[in-house]
This record gives sequence, structure tokens and C-alpha cells, in this order.
Amino acid sequence: MSDSCGNPATETEALMPRRRKFDKTKICVKCKTNPGSLIIRHAVYCKECFVPLTTHKFRRSLEPFVNAKPDGPRRTALKPQGNLLVGFSGGLGSTVLLDLVHRYYVVPDKALIQDDGGSHHPRHERVWKRVVVGYVEVCDAFPSMVERMSDVRAIMEGYGGFEFVPLRIQDAFDPCWWKKIGRDPVNLGVDMTDEALKLLRLEESTSPLEAMRSYMASLPTTTARSTALQTLTRVLLQYTAQANDCSHLVLGTSLTSLAVSLISGVAHGGGFHVREEMQEEWTADQSSDREVDVAKKATKRHGLRIIRPLRDVGMKECGAWSWWMGLKVVGRENWEWPGFKPGIGALTKAFIVGLEKDYPSTVSTIVRTCGKLSPKGIVEGKCISCERPIQSGIQDWQARISIRSRHNGDEQAPFEEVAESLSPFLCYPCRITLTSRSTRPILNPFPNSNHDVSLTPLPMWTGRVLHPPKTSGSEEGDAEIVVGRTLARSEMKNAVKEFLLQDE
Amino acid sequence: MSISLKIEFGGGLELLFSNERSHRISLPTIQPDGRPTNITDLIFWLRDNKLKERPELFVEDKTVRPGILVLVNDTDWELEGEGDYEVKDGDEIVFISTLHGG
Repeated sequence: MSDSCGNPATETEALMPRRRKFDKTKICVKCKTNPGSLIIRHAVYCKECFVPLTTHKFRRSLEPFVNAKPDGPRRTALKPQGNLLVGFSGGLGSTVLLDLVHRYYVVPDKALIQDDGGSHHPRHERVWKRVVVGYVEVCDAFPSMVERMSDVRAIMEGYGGFEFVPLRIQDAFDPCWWKKIGRDPVNLGVDMTDEALKLLRLEESTSPLEAMRSYMASLPTTTARSTALQTLTRVLLQYTAQANDCSHLVLGTSLTSLAVSLISGVAHGGGFHVREEMQEEWTADQSSDREVDVAKKATKRHGLRIIRPLRDVGMKECGAWSWWMGLKVVGRENWEWPGFKPGIGALTKAFIVGLEKDYPSTVSTIVRTCGKLSPKGIVEGKCISCERPIQSGIQDWQARISIRSRHNGDEQAPFEEVAESLSPFLCYPCRITLTSRSTRPILNPFPNSNHDVSLTPLPMWTGRVLHPPKTSGSEEGDAEIVVGRTLARSEMKNAVKEFLLQDE
Repeated sequence: MSISLKIEFGGGLELLFSNERSHRISLPTIQPDGRPTNITDLIFWLRDNKLKERPELFVEDKTVRPGILVLVNDTDWELEGEGDYEVKDGDEIVFISTLHGG
């Protein structure tokens, strides 16, 4: 089949002319004196100008959001309401972030801080009294990933001035960790064999490690596993920040990583969370007209602002910073499982990184454009899995786009049911994460584990907003419970058989 | 005649090269086809002689994989002509991986 457009005037072997890597000259565009050392989106910078440029981008993305009220036209002193939690993954972005936070807010680096004065200037007093670093070790979610906790600990000790809070990914399923941060644990599980996602109360017999592995093994696709791991990590950090009375959580997402997460987020149904992916305000207590179990250490005086201060700093700039500042990068292995097929995130990353090499400005355009988006729709509560807004009407929309039947809930559940369905409490991307199906079978990464898909454990935070149904005689006990499910082929045929024409 | 180069790896890329961050190597000044040795030749030499595993994580399409920053004497290789830069005795070439996330 010919790929030609049919225009006889074109050259068949013509290639798009390659744009020069830099505009104008090789002299630094800022000082116009020194020879350039680095090209950033076609602009040439010397090393001396690169450092203040990067720190300015970092502070510009963070400092306007330090005070409870974001800065207006007149800049005031930096007075956050709580402490600072730095999310550290061992990757390049969070390594650079940690370094910048240390140089500016822990042990101010005189060489770095320009004399630009102002009462808000960090040299006058420490902005955050406590700076906590949270690291989530994820190696246990993979059959053969090397643990990096000791390397990370060594980096913390090298810096000094940080409080280090090590976490493991299975803490999300650990009632002890949940109690430690002042909350009452409820062990919940979900039936992943049923698209209705029946919610069950589990007995506390599995270890957190087994529970986490069971959860990961139950997820239907590689994309779902990667997404779930990112969500578990982020929400763990959010609750840790809240437990440490932090008003700010900063993450080391660079411009490149942000473009990847925005595009891949939209690709797997997270378009409604485009704003949250860039920056969000979070409070742990979900607004609800039911009773909620309030944390024993109630810190309702302020919420948590989640900021990505490197959102204007590309991966290349992070690489240059880490090298010129002599930073040790622990590294973060790719998230690969046995029989690995790349998920949406990995494919998006490959695309964006390739795009950045040849067309570097496109990546910043992606982020700027997404920053202008304002998703339509009304918020209907907070997702109990990812703690982000639920878009109103998605259940009805899903029911309209697929054939479903209703059953009246007469079937006796083998375990205590907490709710007929988890779906009303999930946002769309989390629902897709749990229910999407792949045409290719996906291997269980832990074949030796005792894993029952119909009793998949859920993270601890899902339990705090749901309450078990009251005993018989309650005002809710006699209400009709309607649950949707996908019809089998034979059922679909039965529904339309009287309208089918007979074969003659 | 040969030229001596100092090669450094950063950002986690050293894991592919026996976990050694710094290497000293010697390359011929002229390639068999008569042209001066350039960085592309260096990249292939490293792949064939120093890389211990996963060559696809270092080389792609006759150059370094996208996401690897290359500095020649502390300067972005894009300012020096990328793979066509002809290496000189005493040059320091740094390969930094920027792929290990945020």
C-alpha cells in the first residue's frame, strides 16, 4: 500500500530540516560574556548563570505558596503554617530537590543565595522549623529489585539537618503504621472477580507484605500496577506529612517527568486530575455527611499543600545540576515485572524523552498547556483510593456506555460486607485501575504467595471513610441495593432474542 | 598514535559499567577509515569494551539513548557538534543519565 500523498511535486526522500540546537551564538544569553556550557531549550547558558537561573525557577515555583494565602502583589515574609516534608525517591529530580531545599532552607548556602534582599529572604531566619524527608522503599513490590534504603540513609546523614522518615510500600497495608499515625485501622478487602467491586471486611491474618503483594498481583494490567504504586507512594507521603504536622509536601517532579505524568494520566482516564497532578491542596478528613473517625492527633488547623518546585526545570538541567554540584544519585530502577510489557507510563516516557531530545520546547509547551486546562464537571467527594476529587456522574456515564444488568443483592457474601460496591467511592482512573482488563494474560509476579483475587486487601486509608452497615432494623437495612455488572454473551442474546431475525 | 581520555558516568549510568564512575581509556587518534576519532566512535568503543549489560540502555540509533546528557570538558556536547566532535588527548567526557525519574 502506498504511503504517498499523491502530490507529484514533492521529493520522495525529503526529510524535515533539523533545527539548530541553539539560537544565535555560543555565548551565554544572560551575561553575554562567558562561553556557553549548557543549552536549555535552544538558549545557551554559562555555568555561572545556570546556577542562579535554576535556583530562581525553584524558588519561583515554591515560595509564592509557602504562606497560607498565596502571595499577592506585595511579597511578605515566608511563614508556613507547619513543617515541610520532602518526598525523596532516589531519582534525579528528588536528589536535586533535596539539594536545593538543603541549600536554601536548612543550612543556607551563602554562595548560592544572591543578595536580592527582602524580608522574606531565607537568610534572616529558618523558614521551616522542621524539614522531614520521606522515602518509600518499593523493592518489595518487585520480585528482584535491589533495596536502596541504606544508600538513601547515607545520603541523609551526609546532609545533616533533615529528619528522615523511612517507609516501605507495604506500610499502606499495615494496621500498626496506621495506628502509629493516630488512626483506627479497619481491614478492608475487595472482590476483584466482580466488576461491582464488592467491599468486604477482612480478618487481620495476612502480613502487610503479603497484603501488598496480593493487591499488586490482583491488578489487571501493567499500567494498573504502575499507577497503583505511584498512588500508594504519594498517599503514604501525604499521611506521613499530616502525621508530622507538615503544611507542605514537595516532590521532585521535573518538567520532563511532569509532562510524562500529565500525558499518561490523561491517557488512562485521569484528565479530571490534571490540576492536581501539577499542584494540589489536601486535607485528610473527607467531607461527608456520615460520621468520620477523626485522627487522634487532629491537625485540622491547616491542610497540606503538595507542590512540585522543579516543574520548570527539565531533566537535562537536573542532570547538569547534579553533576556540577557533585551530588550522588542513588538511582531508581525501572518498574518492571516478569513478563513485562510496557504500560502507558513507560510508553509515554519513551515518547516524551525522545521528543525532548529533538524538540525540547515541546515538553514545556505540554506542561504550560495542561496548566491552562480547567476540567469540566462537579466534584462529588474524594476518592478513597487516591484522595483526589471524584467527578460527578461517572457511574451513570459508565452505565450508559456498556451493557449492564442489575441484581438485587440476594447472594450471601462469604465475608462481612461493608458495602455492595466500592465504585461510588472511586474516581474514574482508580476504577479503571481496578477493573480494566488486558487481552494478554498478565503474570503474577509472586507465584508462591497465597493470593485470592476475590479477597484483595485494600490500603488502610480506604477503611477510614467507610462504615459497616448497621444491624437489621436499621433505616438503611431495607433499602433496595442496586449493583451493575457486565452481562455475559448468553444473557445479552436472551435480552434481544425476540427481535432477532431467524436464519432461513 | 593514541589519545588518552577520562570518561565519567553519573546519574546511575555507572551501574551499566561495573559500577565504576571513572574510567581512563586510550583510543587511536585516527580510525581505520582515515578520519579522526570522534565521540560517536567513543560511544561504540564503550559499548563494545566497557559496557557489562543492557547495551540498549546506553546506545540507540548510532548515538547515546535519549535522556543521556553528554558533557565534553564540562560543556554540553550539543555546543561542540555532538557525535562529530573530534576527541583530543586529555579530554574529559561525562555521560549522565537523566532517566531515573523524579
